[in-house]
Parts: sequence; C-alpha cells; structure tokens
Amino acid sequence: MKKNSLKRILATTLTLALGAVALTGCGSASAKEGAAEQTSEASAAQEQSDSKVYRTLDEIKESGEINIGVFSDKNPFGYVDENGEYQGYDVYFANKLGEDLGVKINFVSTEAASRVEYLETGKVDIVLANFTVTEERAEKVDFALPYMNVALGVVSPEGKVIKDLSEVKADEQVIVISGTTAETYLEKNYPDIKLQKFDTYATAKTSFENGTGVAWANDNTEVIAYAIENKGYVVGIPSLGSQDTIAPAVSKGNSTLLEWINSEIESLGKENFFHADYEATLIETYGKDYEETLVVEGGKVSDGAAAEASSEDSEEASTAATSEAAEAATEASSAK
Amino acid sequence: MNLEVIISYIPLYIEAFLLTVKIGWLGIFLALTIGIIVAFVMHFKIPFLSGVAVVYVELFRNTPLLVQLFFIYFGLPKVGLTISAETCGFVGLGLLGGSYMAEVFRSGLESIPSSQTESALALGLSRKQLFLSVILPQALSQSVPGILANVIFLLKETSVFSAISLMDLMFTAKDLIGLYYDTKEALFLLVIFYIVMLLPVSAIGSYIEKKARFRTLGV
Amino acid sequence: MGFEVLLKGNNMIRLLTGLAVSLKISFVSVAISIVLGVALGILMTLKNPVITVVSRIYLEIVRIMPQMVLLFIVYFGTTKALGINLEAETAAVIVFSFWGTAEMADLVRGALLSIPAIQYESSISLGLNKLQTYIYVIIPQIIRRMIPLSINLITRMIKTTSLVMMIGIVEVLKVGQQIIEANRKASPTAAFGVFLVIFLLYFAACWPISMLSRYLEKKWET
Repeated sequence: MKKNSLKRILATTLTLALGAVALTGCGSASAKEGAAEQTSEASAAQEQSDSKVYRTLDEIKESGEINIGVFSDKNPFGYVDENGEYQGYDVYFANKLGEDLGVKINFVSTEAASRVEYLETGKVDIVLANFTVTEERAEKVDFALPYMNVALGVVSPEGKVIKDLSEVKADEQVIVISGTTAETYLEKNYPDIKLQKFDTYATAKTSFENGTGVAWANDNTEVIAYAIENKGYVVGIPSLGSQDTIAPAVSKGNSTLLEWINSEIESLGKENFFHADYEATLIETYGKDYEETLVVEGGKVSDGAAAEASSEDSEEASTAATSEAAEAATEASSAK
Repeated sequence: MNLEVIISYIPLYIEAFLLTVKIGWLGIFLALTIGIIVAFVMHFKIPFLSGVAVVYVELFRNTPLLVQLFFIYFGLPKVGLTISAETCGFVGLGLLGGSYMAEVFRSGLESIPSSQTESALALGLSRKQLFLSVILPQALSQSVPGILANVIFLLKETSVFSAISLMDLMFTAKDLIGLYYDTKEALFLLVIFYIVMLLPVSAIGSYIEKKARFRTLGV
Repeated sequence: MGFEVLLKGNNMIRLLTGLAVSLKISFVSVAISIVLGVALGILMTLKNPVITVVSRIYLEIVRIMPQMVLLFIVYFGTTKALGINLEAETAAVIVFSFWGTAEMADLVRGALLSIPAIQYESSISLGLNKLQTYIYVIIPQIIRRMIPLSINLITRMIKTTSLVMMIGIVEVLKVGQQIIEANRKASPTAAFGVFLVIFLLYFAACWPISMLSRYLEKKWET
C-alpha cells in the first residue's frame, strides 16, 4: 500500500539520518545522545515481543521512576500551581502511589483524547487523569479499582439555563472536550446537536467563558466545580447518562502493576485515604456536601451514589478491574 | 489496517477537507489583499502608514500562527472582542499570510529597474498608467513563485486551526483517535487528504518555477 | 487585563523555562539539519538516479505535509508500527530535523549548482588540487550563502515549536494554559495577558535572529 511505502521511506530516511549523525559524530552532543538512545531503544524493542509496550512492576521499581499521566489543566483534579508543582485529587493519589512504590514520580501532562494512546504506546505507566471506566476504553486499556464516582453534567449561563438537551437550538453549539465520555455520549445520543470540540480543558473553559457555546457538557464533577467557582453559571443538568466510575488505568496486559494498584487501593481504603484526599484537594471547591457522593473508598462503589446506577453498570465498572473480566467485556461487546 | 473503518471515516474527512479548503482559501485571498496593500505602502514609503506596515510585518512574521490564534480567539474576548472560530481562523491566516505576501510583492516591486519608470514617464504615461500597466503586471509575474510557495505554506498552516475547535482535517483525525482509538486508520486518511489538497498546488508551483527560471535564463 | 497572574509565584520563570524548551528543540534540530542537509545536498548533486528519485520524494513529502501531521505520525504512529517508544521531545527533534534536513539539502544543492564551472577550472589551472579547490574556493562561498538561510530556518523552527504542545510537551504555550487554568477564579481575564505576553516572548526570541539573518544576507550579497 501507498502508506507502507511512504512509511518505509520515512523510516529508512530516519534511520539513515540518525545513523549518519552517530557515524560522523559531527552533531551536537545532545543530538548524539538522542541517536544513541534511539538505536538502543530500537534494538531493545525489537528483542522484546512486539506487543509488550509496558513496563512491569519490577521494571518500574528497578528504574526508580514511574511515569504517571495526569491532567495539568483540570483544577481541582490535576493542575499545576504557580510554583510549577502538580496538584489535585488525582495527583494526591499519584503521590501516594509513588511513595509506597518507593520510586520517583515523573508526571506527564496528558490531554483527554490522548490518554488511551499514551498507555497503548507505553509512554506512561499509569494514567490517573480522571479516567472514566467505559466498555470501549476497557478494550484498549486495563482499569484498576475505582476511586471516584462520576456522571455527566451540563452547565450553562444563568440567563439561559439549559435544563434539557432538547432545548439546544439548531444554530447553537455545546462545548465538549475531545476524547471525553461527554463527547461520546452526545455523539451517540444527540447526533443533531452541534458540538464545539476543544482538546484541552483550558481552551474549552476559556471559550465557554467567552460565550461561544450555549452550554458545556462534561463530567458532572467538573461542571459542578465550575458553577461553584464561577459566578453566573448554573448546572442545569446535574446528571446525564449512566453513573460511572473513575479509576487508574494501565497498559493492556500489565497485570503485575494492575494487581499492585488494586491491592494498594484496597489497603488505602482501610485508612480512609480517599476521604483524606477529598479533604485535602476537593473540599475547597465542593464543600462537605459532595464527599460521600464522589469518593469511592477501597475500590467499592458504595450505595450512596451508585444507588441510582443500574446494578449492571456498577458491576461492570468494578469487574472491569481485572483484566480477565475486561477481556470478557471485549468479547461480549464484539459479540454485539 | 481496517478497510471498513477507513471507509466509514471518509465522509467525516471530506467534510473536514471542505472546511479546511474553504477557510484556507479565504485566508489566502485575504493574505493576498493585505500583502499587495502593505507592499505598496512600504514600497512607496507612504508616511506613517509605512511605519505601521513595518511593525505589522515584523510582528506577524516573527510569531507562530498558533500563538496568534490563541491570542485572537481566547485573549481578545477578555477585552470585549469576541469572534467566531471560523472568522478567527481565516482572519488569523490572512494576517499571517499578509505579512509573508507583503515581502514577496515588495521584492517583486523592487526588482523592476528604475529605468523603466523613467522611460515610461518620458513616453508620457501618467503615474497611474505607469503603475497599473507597467509596474504591477511585472511585479506580480515576478512574485508568482513566491506566492505559490506561500500558498503551500498557508495551506499547511491550517493544521493549526484544530486548536481553536475548527473541525479541520487535523482535528478530525485527533478527534477520531480520541473517540475510537483507530490511530493507524485515522492518520492514514489524514496523510491522504493532505496529499490530495497540496500535491496539485505543489506540482503547479514546481512547473511555474521551472518556466520562470527558463525565462530568466533566456532559454 | 490579566497580567498580574504572571507576577504570582514562579509563573514568569515557568513561562521562560517553557520558552527555553522550545528554543532547545529548535537549536538541536537545526544543528542536526545542517550536518545532514549538507551531506544530502552534496549527494543530490551527484546525479545518481536512485538518489535523485528518493530525494525528490523526500523533499516533496516535507513540502506538502504539515509539521503537525508529521509530529503525530512520528509520535503516535511509529510506536505502533515499529515498536519503538519515543519521548515527545525526541519525536519533535526527529520531525524538525526531517524537515530541516530537506530544506538545507535543497539550499546546499542550489548553492553548489550556482557556482559556475569556470571557478573549478581556474582553480585547477592555478595549481590547486581538488580538495584545495573545495576548501579554499567553493566551500567559503557556499557557507556565505548558507548562513543567512540557516539562521532563517532557526526562526521558522522556533515558531513551529509552538506545535509540540499538541504532543504533550510542556512548552511556553502549555505553561500559559496551566497558569490560566490554575488562576481562573482569581484572574478571570488571565487569557488576555498571558497570551499577549507569550506572543511578545516569541517575537522577542525570533525578531533579533531574523534581523541578523537579513543583515548577513545584505552584507554578503554578490
């Protein structure tokens, strides 16, 4: 195929190019480093089987560093403060994981749409970026036990509150973030609504503030926080679609890391870790009221929030935790 | 690669292709207009305006389109100036392109020897006639290769539009990857559609460049 | 107007660090591009049919593919196709060098072909050998032609680095977004100030380099 030959040309040229740098030794020091790194990486990758892109628990421990994908522009879940430090609910948990593993954390800033990609290509070991567990995603990555509840929500300006999505007129746009569950849900259930899609939280929110869309659909946690923090906005639709959960995710098949995270979440449940996390990072935004609805402790979805959720949904979410179950889900969905 | 997935994506790419082409060419048209005006102002050293023109050209030539778009689309509404994403895309492209086109036209104007002006005036042509029938046609034909190079550059720059939520080719590919995770198929179509959009322009460019070179060599 | 957020904490320093990331990627890529571009440019003058065809295809790819598309292919595509895991910065350097090498090679080829045959002939008749001809006659002329153009390439690369944000590199634009996001409540108009400052930062980085390139071009003309 055409693309293959294009790719081959690209690959050969690159290899030639890098090889030439390494051979002539004329490039700058860092260029040489880069080239050396690549050749070693390339040969290492070739030695391994093609499918394994991830690092096992032991490999991570040995390297002394773990790469965790988090948001850097999603206050209060994952953001960077004025001193350049990562902060937020997800980050608080990530720090705990790093501490208990005894490794240094290397935070990688991700966008919603690239989270699966980052795991599939092994660019990060864990994604802790408000990652909602869904069937489609569970086909591509392995989710651990959940640590937060979530549904979709829609926020709109006070003057013109959208209480039902059918109120959105044909010439109006709803803002979503590319690669989120809100996008998938609206694409599927409201194909007539025009979506204005952004790839980062920062751009979506700024655009919403600037009035380019009549409403913004996202995780309800996010839109509730937005309405609390910004005057003049109301969450007209507090809950939309199914009740879901948010969980850490690892590359498909990375069972050692997955099991470790699961046991960690279970043991953290005994010390009420996620309540402490909530109180440290979210209480300023949400107050006490949402603590029990949002937090999932010890990987067990409690009755509080999940009561509304159909038993099927919550079961799916928690069983998707094990890779076996996720595989079963894959089979089930492909059977559909 | 999954053929079925590719086929199901094609309509989305065609839609994105049309949007990209539409905004791209609107922007290029604006760029040409701005470029001619600015080059004229600079060449004839019109007081005050030529100063503004220099500042404009330097500012827009030395900053990335992405940053210009971010400022126009996200920054300006904070001081009360809101424009739609499409307008922002085409105005941004036009402003960036205008600064590049201005340079091309200016060197086109400069390439015309002053002896021509003198002889035209000696022949009794008015200033207006001199400009419209002697200088402008030559300056434009001198500028054609440069203009085409800029057209390709500007059409490529449209890939930046995705950052301000315009559903162009780049955005469609990114969005599909985020929605369905079919990376290979989405990237494959992205490459194909850019080839369809740019290869003809590039081929015309090379052809004209060759002709122009032959002409200057007197072959 | 939203400028005040930049005075908070390390925000301004963070922006500058972000700019440094962009500059580093451009300089490393330009260095690689010059070395590879000169080599490829010389190869292209050899009139070997295989090299001609391959280099034509290569130059055409670079000419019509947006850098952003190349970034996505290298960063996300290669991992799956070749099983290599690339750091985002490495991917950026590869794409920028891939692009820069093509431009340099084309310039070198043009410069080499523009040197009239009579110069080679007269050098040899003056008793210089082939190597001496290259070192003392040809290469100095080519360097003169190349330097302004390579400096120009640096500014274009710096400008294009703004795209690397899209593959997750935390450079100046991403830092800007993080600052806007972390201060949304306290400074709702931060988007204006932060993006204006970034616009000016890019200008401050590129403009002097453009001026230098233009100055050298004028100075060495003819």
